[in-house]
Amino acid sequence: MRWWCSAVKQDWDWTPRPYIGVWLLIAGIVALYARMWQKHRVEFETLDDDKHYMRRFAGGVFFLWVASDWPIGTLGGGYLASVHMMQFMLYTFAAAPLLMLGTPEWMARSVLDRLHLRGVWFALSRPLVAVLLSNAFLIATHSPIGVDSLRSSQFGSFAMDMIWLFSGFVLWSPIINPIREAGMTSAPGRIVYLFLAAALVPMIPGGFITFSPSALYSTYELAPRVGLSPLHDQQLAGVIMKLGSIPVVWTAMGVIWFRWYKKDSQRPVHRRAAVQRDPAPAEGSTHALH
Amino acid sequence: MADTEGNLVRNVAIGLAVVAVVLGGLAFVASGNDTSAPGWRGRVLPEAETEPDFTLTDTSGDPFNLIEDTTGDLTLLMFGYTNCPDICPISLGTLKAALDDLGADVANRVDMVFVTADPDRDTPERLRTYLDGYSTDFIGLRGTAEQTEQAQDLANVPRAQLEDADADGEYAVGHATQIIAYQNDGVARIVYPFGTRAEDWKIDLPRLLAGEHPSA
Repeated sequence: MRWWCSAVKQDWDWTPRPYIGVWLLIAGIVALYARMWQKHRVEFETLDDDKHYMRRFAGGVFFLWVASDWPIGTLGGGYLASVHMMQFMLYTFAAAPLLMLGTPEWMARSVLDRLHLRGVWFALSRPLVAVLLSNAFLIATHSPIGVDSLRSSQFGSFAMDMIWLFSGFVLWSPIINPIREAGMTSAPGRIVYLFLAAALVPMIPGGFITFSPSALYSTYELAPRVGLSPLHDQQLAGVIMKLGSIPVVWTAMGVIWFRWYKKDSQRPVHRRAAVQRDPAPAEGSTHALH
Repeated sequence: MADTEGNLVRNVAIGLAVVAVVLGGLAFVASGNDTSAPGWRGRVLPEAETEPDFTLTDTSGDPFNLIEDTTGDLTLLMFGYTNCPDICPISLGTLKAALDDLGADVANRVDMVFVTADPDRDTPERLRTYLDGYSTDFIGLRGTAEQTEQAQDLANVPRAQLEDADADGEYAVGHATQIIAYQNDGVARIVYPFGTRAEDWKIDLPRLLAGEHPSA
């Protein structure tokens, strides 16, 4: 039995294969999360928001499990470049943001303080660092040498998956940081950051992969075939890299914009209300809104 | 003091991120298929081997002599079987991709000969259908078990071994995985083991057709 999905030279079939490492990771994350809530509730009362956090975290764990385990993990680990890219999308644009949204501030502070990583986390959450680092991981983990060397072993494949998860945390840290003061506060800035970091930059390697005239990855070129030819599979992978993040990124941008607009449009109403509550200005006073 | 430390961490993080981007970009570009690398992509034989003189039956039912009936400037010979789950489809697929990319000028000068190592299951029709999935120009040959063994001996490859059948009567065949390249002087100086990529073929085939002789 293998503990993590990696490239194997075996004909593909739909017989489920167990990966003990995936289950242990998921169980470990869930156990740690539950333990922290348990300890927290001893000291603090339960809030309505707690359930929201838990639901989001459960969603993140679900996507983490789906991306890592059979069949997506197996297919992406050694059969299809397109599924490898789908895994990347699930880690970066589903699991990572949901895990962050499911982490309350007290928990994030507690974890970072225990690991003495608060300073590092604040530094990684800076937009310039986040955009550079997350896209450096993206490029390195989709380069032929990165894919072929990491996917050939279980440990390498595990490292790649964890890099994607970490890269997802870094990518989203300026937007949905559990520690509020570590993230960006300006709504237009967040929209521009998301567009640059998650929509625009990945177009470049995505285009390179899509329009390459030959198969870039020996892992997938020399894998037992699962329907697609190596080149078509690679082209599909490139398209997924270019377009796969669009629903999440543009939805996030839309939510940020809508909230910003709502907040902004409420401002004059409050001001008018405040003026109406004020006593009538003294005669000759210029204190009035026109 | 805390601000100074914060700035230091921030600057180090930015520096590391920039370095990571540069290294990542370089890794992506540098690790693409390098088509300018010197040397041969196949495995050059320590001693040249002459083209084997055997006659089997092609998928039309006609006798086919490997030396006399191949008309191209380069003959590629492989032993395999149509039920092969990995080696054969991958090897034929990568070769086909390379021939497509190289164009008709190259493809028309190459004879790809696939000899079945499993003549009991690989009927002429089955063999033809299988090869047509890659190219209608690929030549399929079949013989009796004895003829097949003799052909393998003459080609200097290990004889295929039939493994035990499963409950459904299906069985795998262990067979030589290399593709042997005989140039137009009837001599093989290079073979292509499993793992040869389309890019490797695209580099070596034009050189072999141009008459370059690989030497150890």
